[in-house]
Amino acid sequence: MSAQAFTFTVSRSPVLFTGLMTDERQILAAGLRRRDPDLLDRLIEQYQQRLYRYLLFLTGDPALAEDLFQETWIRVLERGHQYNGKSKFESWLFAIARNLVIDVSRRKKFPSLEDLGDPESNQPYDPPDDHAVSVLQLLVTRENEQAVQLSLLKIPAYYREVLLLRFHEELGLEEIATVLATPLSTVKSRLYRGLEALKSALPQGAA
Amino acid sequence: MSEDLHKRAQELFAQSLVEGLSAADQIWLDGHLRDCGDCAREIASTRELLHALRTVPVSVPRDLAARTQLRVRLRAQQSAPTSTSSALLWIITAVSWLLGLFSAPLVWRAFSWVGLQLNLPKLVLEFGFVLWWTVPALVAVAAVLYQRGGGTVSTRRTDV
Repeated sequence: MSAQAFTFTVSRSPVLFTGLMTDERQILAAGLRRRDPDLLDRLIEQYQQRLYRYLLFLTGDPALAEDLFQETWIRVLERGHQYNGKSKFESWLFAIARNLVIDVSRRKKFPSLEDLGDPESNQPYDPPDDHAVSVLQLLVTRENEQAVQLSLLKIPAYYREVLLLRFHEELGLEEIATVLATPLSTVKSRLYRGLEALKSALPQGAA
Repeated sequence: MSEDLHKRAQELFAQSLVEGLSAADQIWLDGHLRDCGDCAREIASTRELLHALRTVPVSVPRDLAARTQLRVRLRAQQSAPTSTSSALLWIITAVSWLLGLFSAPLVWRAFSWVGLQLNLPKLVLEFGFVLWWTVPALVAVAAVLYQRGGGTVSTRRTDV
């Protein structure tokens, strides 16, 4: 694994974030069915930042996020014929990545998204793994945003995930429901609770 | 101003972030925020929080995309010949099956002639005839399974 890294600051490029139109999705689906290597190259390039960040914030482990990033694209290659072009490509991509995270977390027996208890109950959440926070802290480069980002890391993964998908990836509620394979009502509930959790986790005076 | 109004303002603001607001609710919320400094500050704070969330800087390994592209291309190359050879295997199997079907009477006559010459019991002849047909098929199945096993192992590699 390369030690070299560069700092990525989000630029909300229209090409990257407007999503693909239906016709483009059909072309994309056809390309994935053909296992078009040039198309896959472009997709890897286009979605690298969003996918890596999503995996990083879910796992809290840069090395694992890298491995899962590669595995996700291998699955896209192998299961490209399953993408029908009806939903956004990024929803399908994030769903694949999320399933890989769950698979790995079950194999390695670290708290997975599904093993953190019932998010819809009113149970207090556990503090996060210190190691995960410290590793991610190293990746945070702007000091004035550390409080916010560390607060994000303090909340449970199932809230963190919906907050990222909604407010960072700007996916719609139905798209998030597709990624999570959960009902729309659950997505809304997690978003409301996640917002509350995020505000509670924020140190006084931050943000 | 009652606590209920503040609570409603916070709930409507959360709703605006998650589901969106009706025009009437938006007008009510805007009016409340003009009159209530505390709610306005809290909501501004949440907006800043979400803005910070949107601009989270993350270090992405510089060559991650390149390594992944290479790995995906290698995987595509590994699996593409497999599908071609699978089709070829099916064709060869079909031709082999047809030839076997039409040549079965001749093979059985040959076995009978050998049995007569060597004075072998009928059971041995039948057993030999069954082996004549099944052994090549079993070898072919073993070869296919071996090939598929090798492909699976190679795709599990993480490093390229």
